[in-house]
Parts: sequence; C-alpha cells; structure tokens
Amino acid sequence: MAALCKVVSGLRTGACVFPKRTIDICKSLYSTDSGETSEGNAVEETQKPAADKVKSGFAAAYEQHTDLQQRQNQTGTTVRLGSTRNEKSFASLLRNSPLMQMGPAKDKMVIGKIFHIIKDDLYIDFGAKFHCVCKRPTVDGEKYQRGSRVRIRLEDLELTSRFLGANTDTTLLEADAFLLGLIESKDQRVEQH
Amino acid sequence: MAAGVLTKGLCGFRQPRIIAAGYSCSGPLYATATAVKTLPLQTDSTAVTDKIQNLPLETPDFFRLSELFSLKDLFDARVHLGHKKGCRHRLMEPYLFGSRLGQDIIDLDQTMAHLQSALNFTAHIAYRGGIILFVSRRRQFGHVVESTAGDCGEYAHTRYWQGGLLTNAPIQYGPGVRLPDLIVFLSTLNNVFQQHVGVRDAAKMNIPTVGVVDSNCNPSLVTYPVPGNDDTPAAMELYCRLFKMTINRAKDKRRQMELLQGLSPAGLTQGSS
Repeated sequence: MAALCKVVSGLRTGACVFPKRTIDICKSLYSTDSGETSEGNAVEETQKPAADKVKSGFAAAYEQHTDLQQRQNQTGTTVRLGSTRNEKSFASLLRNSPLMQMGPAKDKMVIGKIFHIIKDDLYIDFGAKFHCVCKRPTVDGEKYQRGSRVRIRLEDLELTSRFLGANTDTTLLEADAFLLGLIESKDQRVEQH
Repeated sequence: MAAGVLTKGLCGFRQPRIIAAGYSCSGPLYATATAVKTLPLQTDSTAVTDKIQNLPLETPDFFRLSELFSLKDLFDARVHLGHKKGCRHRLMEPYLFGSRLGQDIIDLDQTMAHLQSALNFTAHIAYRGGIILFVSRRRQFGHVVESTAGDCGEYAHTRYWQGGLLTNAPIQYGPGVRLPDLIVFLSTLNNVFQQHVGVRDAAKMNIPTVGVVDSNCNPSLVTYPVPGNDDTPAAMELYCRLFKMTINRAKDKRRQMELLQGLSPAGLTQGSS
C-alpha cells in the first residue's frame, strides 16, 4: 500500500481537490499488481522517473482527466442548481425533443391522429409543423374516424419546391406520408398498400 | 420596425408626454410618479381619470402577463417550428435559432421577449378602451380567430380584405367612422404568399400592429412582431388564448379601477386582487 500511495502522489500535479472517482480507478488498476510485491516495486521504479520526464501515455491522460474533473467540479454546482429548478433552456428542450432525435424524416414510422375527415381524405396530425393527408384505405375503411390513431411512414415534413423564376420556394403547407394502418388495442395490424 | 408609435387611442391625454417609451416593459423610460401630478385647476373627475390612465404606466408588467405563458408552453405548442430553408425571408434571419435538416427553427428566447412586449402593449390598449381588430386570412383558423374576438369583446376580420377598408374608410363606411386602435395579425400572409394588405395599410394609417411572423414573413412593417409558427392549430390556439386572456385581464382591471375610484375619488389605491 505504501508503494501505491507514492505512485499516486507522484502523479499529482499540485491539485487541491483530488476526485474520489480517480482514486478508485487507480486503486483498482494497481490492485492486481499490489499482490505481487516485486511487480509493485517495478511499477514504482518506472513511474518515478516518468514523473520527472515529459509525461506520455496513461500519465498524460491521467493529468488531463484530473484537470477536467477539477473544472467540472467547480462549475458543477451551478449546473446542478439549474436542473433542480426545472427550468430547461430552449436549446436543451429542442435537443431532447422527438423531432430532433428522429433525424431525417424520410422513411420514419410515426403515430398520428386523424383530426379531420372530408369524404375519403384523412387529415393526420403527427406532431410536426404540418399535417399530412392520406386517402382512406379500402380495407376497414369505416374504422378510420376522427380521433383514431394511425401508423404512417413519413416521406417529407413539408412539401416545398423552387419553381423557375421564383425567389422563394412554393410550399404546399402539408407533409407527405404513406398510411400504414390503424393502431388497434387487439394488436391486429391492418397492412395496406 | 416602428416601435412605440403614437396612435389615435392615446388622444385622451391632457398633458403631452413621451408616451412611446411607456409601453416597453424593459426600458427605464416609463413615466414616473412625479410626471403624473395634475394641475390644481382641474376638476376632481378629470384628475381621477388621468390617474386611472397613468397608473399602469408606472410598472413594467402591470398586468402580470409573464405568468400567462412559459417557454415550455410555447415549445409544446410547436411555436418554434419554421418553414423550410428555401422559404426563408431574409429579414427573419435574426429571429431564427438555426436550421435543422432544412427546416428553420425559431429562437424561442427571442419569441418570449417579443410576445411579452406585444401582450403588454395589447393589454394597455385594451385598458384604455381601444378597439382591437384580429386579422387572419388562414381559412383553417378563421373560426378560432372569430370566436376569440367574440369572447373578449373585440373585432375580427377573417374574410376578403377590401382595398380601401382602412385607407378609404370615411367614403366606404360613412363619415366619422372610428378605425381600430390596434390590429393583431395572427398570420401576416395572404394565401398566395403575398403579405396581407392590412399590414401596409395599418402602417399608412398610423395604426400599430402586432403580428405573428413565421420564417417566410416580412417583419419590417409590423410594430410588434412575434416570431413564431402560424401554421399549426396548436400554436394558433395558444396565441388566441393568450390574446383573449390578456384583453380580458386588462378590461377587468379597468373596470376594477373605475369602481374603486367611483367609491373613493380622493385617495388612489392600487387595488388588491
């Protein structure tokens, strides 16, 4: 254990706060060597001169890690205050939102809700800026009513295109999706074309 | 952006003052108590009316509108979603947080501040008995806007806008017609991706406007632009609910003030609850 403490103190570079986590890591790393005293001595010998020279490999990484831990601990108190107050910033809300986590909309399966029906057209809202319009499928057509939840495969979040001679894109104010089927509690999926 | 333009609704003042700065909730230039002193020659009723008019100008958020909405509410109503990058208007770039896979994201921190000042201005206009006109040419939300206007006792125009509605009003509607003191645009665009004629006409007639500007809109002529989504029903319902609550709160406050002053004209109490 004495050899262990010397090695650990040799690697310290005047840090005032010594993080507990790294101590455990060091102990676990060197615990296998501490059983055999000869190897422990060998480690001590190689580490002491390494502390005087330019540190490389594990030693350099360990130093860097210590500094980072120090900085994180100093700023950690402010971060914790923010999270306990439950005031998330817009950036964090946005980053954790399903729309961002989803990535590109092409070929993603989402669940939508029918909010309007005009004869055979189903207007489905799936949580994005626009809704999508799909044709009522031939199989089980009567089950698609206002408020039913459906599975759709997204193609595009907004149908836009730049036409010749235009300054800006022309947008259809609609998303594009392919209707897969109803979501039923009986776990019976209706596959549609 | 012409912020703080003097409007017809403020003509009830006897003392000319810099009223423009009084509507910003963040600047230190609002009227102080020392400027509110009335001349001793005036009668009690006018002094009381002046005090009722001037009291809200002394605090930045007199109607406590910041408790009506939060960032989370705006986020859940999808107010931050903009159009695709190709539809972006050049002048909306300062209000955008960024662009994600081609879709613009509106910065909700800026939207919070703009929405606060817009609601504050609306509340002050409603407090002073101004006429507010809700305009939106989105057929999908026409009913929501009209019912909102009806619920708060104000007016809405969600149909075809005749060319001379504001600019040619005395001839089209008869002499002595009173124009609105504030126009609230819940969508500043026509269906053909032209800007609504009302934005330009209101600027011509010196009528301040509050407008929800999406990433494809031109915010330059709108007095109090609120960068936000104007295509999703959830967002539109949120705006309508906020404007309705603001106007109702302001009118209730006015009625309360008048009742209090009617009971005790000598002393001016702020009125609890």
